[in-house]
This record gives sequence, structure tokens and C-alpha cells, in this order.
Amino acid sequence: MNEYFTPGDFLVLKPVILLVLFGMGVMLTDLLLEKHNKYFNAVTALVGVGFASVAMWMIQSQMNRDGAGVYEAFRGAIVLDSFSIFFTWIFLISTAITIIISIRYLEIEEENHGEHYAIILFATAGMILLATGMDLITLFVSLELMVISIYILTGFLKRDRRSNEAALKYLLLGAFSSGILAYGMSLLYGISNSTNLVEIQSKLAQRPAGDPLVMMAVVTLAAGLFFKIGAVPFHQWLPDVYEGAPHPTTAFMSVGPKAAAFALFLRIFMVPLGPVRDQWLPLLIGVSIATMTLGNLAAISQSNIKRLLGYSAISHVGYLMLGLVSGNDTGLKGISIYLLVYAFMNLGAFTVIVAMRRRDLIGDEIDDMAGLMYKSPTAAVLMVIFLLSLAGIPPTAGFLGKYFIFLSLLETGHYTLAVIAVLYVAVALYYYFRIVSVMFMREPIDKELPSMSPGIRVALGVTAAMTLIIGIYPNPFIEFANRTVLAVMR
Amino acid sequence: MPLPFIVITLIKAIVVLIVLMTVAAYLVWFERKIVARIQNRWGPTRVGPFGLLQPLADAIKLLTKEDFTPAGVFRVPYLLAPALSLTVALLAFAVIPFGPGFQIADLNIGLLFILAISSMGVYGIVLAGWASNSKYSLLGGLRSSAQMISYELAISLSVVGVLLLGGSLSLREIVSAQSGVWGLVPRWNVFPQLVGFFCFFIAAIAETNRLPFDLPEAETELVAGYHTEYSSMKFAMFFIAEYTNMVTASCMATILFFGGWHGPVPSFLPAPLQAVVPLFWFSLKVVLFLFVYVWIRGTLPRFRYDQLMSFGWKFLVPLALINLVVTSFVIALRA
Amino acid sequence: MIGGDYVPSNYIPVVIFIVIATLFPIVTLLVAKLVRPSTPEPDKLGPYECGIDPQMESRGRYTVRYYIIAILFVIFDVETIFLFPWAVQFKVLGLFGLIEMLVFLGILIVGYVWVYKKGALEWV
Repeated sequence: MNEYFTPGDFLVLKPVILLVLFGMGVMLTDLLLEKHNKYFNAVTALVGVGFASVAMWMIQSQMNRDGAGVYEAFRGAIVLDSFSIFFTWIFLISTAITIIISIRYLEIEEENHGEHYAIILFATAGMILLATGMDLITLFVSLELMVISIYILTGFLKRDRRSNEAALKYLLLGAFSSGILAYGMSLLYGISNSTNLVEIQSKLAQRPAGDPLVMMAVVTLAAGLFFKIGAVPFHQWLPDVYEGAPHPTTAFMSVGPKAAAFALFLRIFMVPLGPVRDQWLPLLIGVSIATMTLGNLAAISQSNIKRLLGYSAISHVGYLMLGLVSGNDTGLKGISIYLLVYAFMNLGAFTVIVAMRRRDLIGDEIDDMAGLMYKSPTAAVLMVIFLLSLAGIPPTAGFLGKYFIFLSLLETGHYTLAVIAVLYVAVALYYYFRIVSVMFMREPIDKELPSMSPGIRVALGVTAAMTLIIGIYPNPFIEFANRTVLAVMR
Repeated sequence: MPLPFIVITLIKAIVVLIVLMTVAAYLVWFERKIVARIQNRWGPTRVGPFGLLQPLADAIKLLTKEDFTPAGVFRVPYLLAPALSLTVALLAFAVIPFGPGFQIADLNIGLLFILAISSMGVYGIVLAGWASNSKYSLLGGLRSSAQMISYELAISLSVVGVLLLGGSLSLREIVSAQSGVWGLVPRWNVFPQLVGFFCFFIAAIAETNRLPFDLPEAETELVAGYHTEYSSMKFAMFFIAEYTNMVTASCMATILFFGGWHGPVPSFLPAPLQAVVPLFWFSLKVVLFLFVYVWIRGTLPRFRYDQLMSFGWKFLVPLALINLVVTSFVIALRA
Repeated sequence: MIGGDYVPSNYIPVVIFIVIATLFPIVTLLVAKLVRPSTPEPDKLGPYECGIDPQMESRGRYTVRYYIIAILFVIFDVETIFLFPWAVQFKVLGLFGLIEMLVFLGILIVGYVWVYKKGALEWV
């Protein structure tokens, strides 16, 4: 029936459909597997991610052949442009790495159920839709698909008190923030009588300056989105959830869902709220300064490494928001590159933490890393690379993201902001090097070696290689990010 | 809105209400008589001929009994529960067509209205179980709510088959679609939807908390279930609500699956009497269903609770789903 | 589109009926209050416990299965609500509608199989 959807609409969604199918397949095959065969679920999930990647690749190459640059589907509710393609790749890579580092960890925790992988795939489907959605309803539904999956993953260790507490906190606060976000979306719909972001943009441009309804919409949307990305003052959930969640889940949610939330953040602020930039810019500047300050200062005093990385994640959100503050090509390019780089370096750092989990050690205190240099030099050295990259020291990839963002600040004349941001890099160096000093300067507390399973080795290799490659030879990635920016600025 | 219209509606509503109360009251007599005959007894015989005035005597008795509220109940929900049960039970009759034109309101979403209203019946029972400060009530209320929501699923799913055939949510149109014959058999939905009817009727019995699914008030284990702590008129309200729900379920079965007011044979009565014929067929079918209700009660023993839940979830729901898929396939293939 | 002065006249009888059906129990209770005797006694205040004084709190903890059933009900009931408009418009939607609904049902059936195998429907 041509008045509904065409088969082409579904082809655009092929990666998402494949992910969901494989997720359901994992749920069903899990019922047939014996306890000691559960790793097979991870294999199925990985194959699913592989199929989705191939589908994505095919769509992308077809797009290049057509020279279309953008595919619209479902009457503009789904828009596949280079922005969404860029983010989709981040999601697929981080999902694949999360899956391979989960296998051994879940075996140690004796929670190796197939649902873990199925839910990761569902969350990834939600994330991809979040980056491709151009319609308020699509965006909200896919956001919920993503966050509900993460609530479950957070509480996956059902015998662990911290995991349960974190899941409940996250669920309650997350539901509350989703409510606020939905309120903002309904205001947008009320103002513009449309759920399509582009149409909302044109309607908002016609409103008089200082319209209280628009102000309300901006404030509620911003509050909801600030929660989702973990910006001050809606950040309190983040360290608790990072600490309580299983290690691989923390790794996953600090990368994929964070990038997805940022994609939503960018889309909402650039497309529908683009015309009212004057109204949200002061808010954004204030929040980004507060986020950087709190994230960096609170990280100093942490003794739990997951909490520390949680606060460092908050500070990174502050940097990322600066890219939107400047709002020009360079800033957006910086955000894209930053998120890509952040995916690798953060996943790498968390992979080392996952390796620390042994039979009788949770391995998330900084002291647990003592003497890692003597036990596993490779892991220790790689951890140093990841931490350097997180701090933003050349020649690692982290430098590149910060470079573009600072550059964009200078280009747009936000000199004070740039100075503050650079100063906080010094603070960040301090707390990252606390970890390094513990790894290198202290004697080991026990003889037990970190559990370097094949999956973890692969993950460490890939993330470290990418962290260095992007840092040393950034041109293709910058080119890729450039196209992304063009799609958003369209 | 013109005043005569409102007055006519008012009169209609009151008539329906009075008829309904009478039917519910005599349903008790009907049930006692039939169960008695099944068990080789006489049933009520003392009050009036064949005990026909027994419902009246019951009503007077319940009205004049002392009504005491136990200590520790939550007063507002305790009072609200029986009233809610009864009101909700009565509301379904706002949209039921008894014959062509004999209907209070012809909503285009009549079926949805009935399903929505009947699912609100759970509130009365849950509130009663929770508000009255008694273990039996609480257990009865919980059991009942779990049972009712489980079987409500089966009801909704089995009704979808009828919607596929009828193509409308209006009860009047669903009945109209069932007029005429296929050769010798009337075009009733029960013939193409035998499985659907099976699911619907079983689930309806469970939905009205009747034997063999009367776990919520299983007197041998729970005293009286959710209305253990109720006496006098409040108890009577739960009682009337239950019997009204039985009538509703029978009416629904008649309308959805048995052609409503359409008779199985054409009538050759003179014109003035012709108007009564649809009402006659409708009432006859409803009474037949009520008889089946009582018959089942007199014949079958009670389920165990785990059996009840697994029967609903593991048998009726999948069966209704399969029926739905098969029906949609057949209709799609014939189109 | 529904205009500003649209009156859903079909629903006026329903509203009238709702009013009457609400008044009915209230009036009955009031009448009963006038007629019935009242001789309060302390013994009548206790809950029914086969004549024994009740022990423990009556609103105690109960099995979590009721919650599971409630959650499952919400999922599957929403499903059937989606089926209703589809079924009414089935002949208009044609093959497209059939396939879409099979996809929708397929996802739910996977969930059902999973719930079944996980033992969430067992009551012991």
C-alpha cells in the first residue's frame, strides 16, 4: 500500500531491525543453553552486531553511489545523514567491545544470562534510533528503549546490594527526568503543532523573542537532557550508578548511551531550538562551567576508581558542552571527534578495570590497582595511555577532541571559557596520575594476576590501537567528522 | 439538547435498571432452584408459589439487617468498594442493545466501553479486600484481582476475532452483521469463531468469579473472600453486582457470538407482535446462557488456584492468540 | 476534524445512565440506614477469625507473584488494545495490516515464550 510506508523505509532501518531480531534470538536460544555454554549468547550477539555493521556499511556505500547524502524514511521521522551514520558507528563499536569484555566478568559474577546480551542489543537499537530520529515521538520512544535497557543492566547483579541500589536510584531519577523531557517535548508540540523537528524549527523561528512558552520549553528540555547526559546540577545519579553497576555496564553506559544522549542533545539544541539560541546560550555556559568545576574537583578525592571515572565523565560532559557553546563548525566537529575518541579511551580504561575483577576481589578501588606494573605490565602501560588520552595529552587521541573544542572557543571569542577549560586539564592530570602512581609506585597487595581473558585482550588491543591511531594520524577521522557537521548545520 | 430526549433517556434508564434488578434478584431464585434440582432437592418452596417471592423476602431481610463496620478498616474505601462494584456492574447496560432500537446509547465504541467498564470492576474487589481489616478479605481481593486481570486478557483477545469479522466496535453493528443465513445455519459469529466463543465464555465465567473459578470467595478456605467483613446492604451490593455481571456476560456472549436479537428461524407473526420477536430471542438466549452458568456451577468442582492461573495464561491466552492469527489469515486469503 | 461546538450527543444518555447508576447504591444505602436496627457492641468490632482473637497484622506481606501477574497483564493488555483498531480496520488495511500485525504479535510471542520458559507463569 503506497499510502503507508515503502520497503525503502525499512531498508534504512535495516541495522536496527537486525539488532532487534538478534536480541530476540539471543533471548530464545538462551533458553536452550546449558549453564556452561552461555558464552554462545555473546557470540550470537556479536554476530548480530556484525550483521548490523554490514548492513550499515551497505547503506553507506549505496548512499555514496547515489550521491544522496541523506535518506529520509517514515515521512521524515527517520533521517539517515552523516551525523547519524557517524554516531551509529560509535554505538556499534562500543557495543561490540562491551560484549566481548562482559563474557568473563559475568562468568565470575555467576550472572551469565543471555538477557544481558539481548538487552545490550536492544539498547543499541534504541541508541541508533536516537541518533537517526527526527521526530519527537521517535526520539522519546527510542530514548526510553535505551534508558530502560540500561536500568536493567545496572541492576543485573541481583545479589549485589550496590547494583540494586544503583538501579533503583537510576530508575526513579531517570523516570522523573524523562517526564520533564516529555513535558518539554509536549510544549514544543503545543507551540508548533508538529512533532517533526524541522517543522518545529521553522515554527519557533516565527515566535517573538522572549516568548514565555518557548522559555518554558527550553528550560524543561534542557533539564531533561542535562540529566540524561549527566551535567550539573542533574549529575548526582552518575557517580552512584557508575559505582554500583557491573563493570562492563559502566563501560557501556559511559560510552554508547552517553554518546546517544549527546546526539539527542545536539539534535534538539541545533534543530528545533536553533532559532532561540540567544535564550539557551547563557544557561549552557553556566552549566558547562559548573559541570567542569564539579566533575574535576570532586574526582580528586575519590578512592573508588569507578566513581573517579564517573566524575571525570561529568567533567568531559562539561568540555563537550563547550563545543555547543561556540556552536560553529569547529565546535561541532570537536564534539563528534571527542565522542568518538572518548568511546575508545574510556572503554579501554574500563576494560582494564573489568580485568581487575577476580574471584574474590571486586577490583574497583584505586588501591586494588597497586603494583599492576609488576603483575601485568601490558595492562598498566595501556592504562597509562588511556589516562593520558582522557586528560588530553598529545600524541594520544584525547588531545584531538580537546584541541578542536578549545579552538572553536577561541574562534568565537570565548577566551575566559577557554582559559578555565585549559586550567581544569591540569586538575584532571593530577587525579589521573594518582592512579598511575598507585600502579607503578606501590607494591602489589596480592599475588593474583588480573583475569586477562581473550575478549579483554582483544578489547584492550583495539581500544589502545585506536586511541593511538586517531591521535597520530587523525586526518580520515577529521574528514568523517567534517561531513557530520555539515549534516547538522544543514 | 432537547428536553424530551433527556426525559425519554431517563425513563429508559430507569426501566432498564428496574428490569435488571428484577432479573438479578430472580437469577438468585433461578440458580437456587436449578442447583437444588441438580442435587435432587426442592430448593426454595415456602415463600409464595414455587418460592417465587423468595427474592423479595431476601431483599427485605438484607435491608433490615444490622450493618456494623469492624474496627481498623479504612472507612472511605470500605464504603466505596460495594458502591463502586454495583455502579460499574450496572454501567455496562448503557450500551447493550436488547433489540433494534432498544438501547440506551448506541456508542460507536460500545464494545470498548463495556470492556473498559467491566475491567473497572476489579477496583471494587481490590478496595474491599484491602480496606476491610481481615486476612481473608485481603487474600480474596488479591486472588480475585490477579484472576480477573488474567482472564480479562483472554476475553479481549477472543473478542478481536469478532471484530475482524464484524469490522466495527459498535454493538448494534456487530449484531446487524450477523443477520441472514449461510444455507441452513444462521450467520452467527459462533460458527466461524467457535474457538473464540469457547475462550470468551470460559473467561467470562472466570471474570464473574463463578464456579468453577470462584477462588476469590472460596468459602471452604477464605470464608467469603473479599466480602467477609461486609454485612447487610453492603454485602447485598456485592451480591447484586456479581449477578448483574453474570447477566452482562450472557448478554455479551449473545451479542458477540449468537446473533443478538436475530432468531434462528424467520417469524411469521402478525406485524404488531413482530416488534416483540427480537426481544424474545434476545431474552431467550440470555436465559439459556444463564442456565449454562448455573448448570456448570451445579456440576463442576472448584479449580486449585495454580491450576486456575496456568489455565488462563498457558492455555486460554495462547489459544485466543492462535484463533486471532488464523482468523486474520483466513479473512486475508478470502479477500 | 472536531469543531469547537462539537457535542458528543451519543454520550449524553451514557452520562445520564452513569448518574443514575451512581445514585442507585447511594440511595439504597441511605434507605437501609433508615430501616435497619443498630445495637453496637464491642464484640462486633473484631474482624472475622472463626471466633478467635486475631493474631498478627491482617494486611501482611504476600507473594510477589501477584506483582508479576500485574506487570504481565499491563504488557499484554496494551497489546490487545493495539489489536482493536487494527481488527476494525483490517479489511481496509489489507495485506499491509496483516504483515504489520504479525510482526507486532511476533515480538510479543517471543516475549510470551520467554516469560513461559522462565517460569514466571508458574504459581507454586
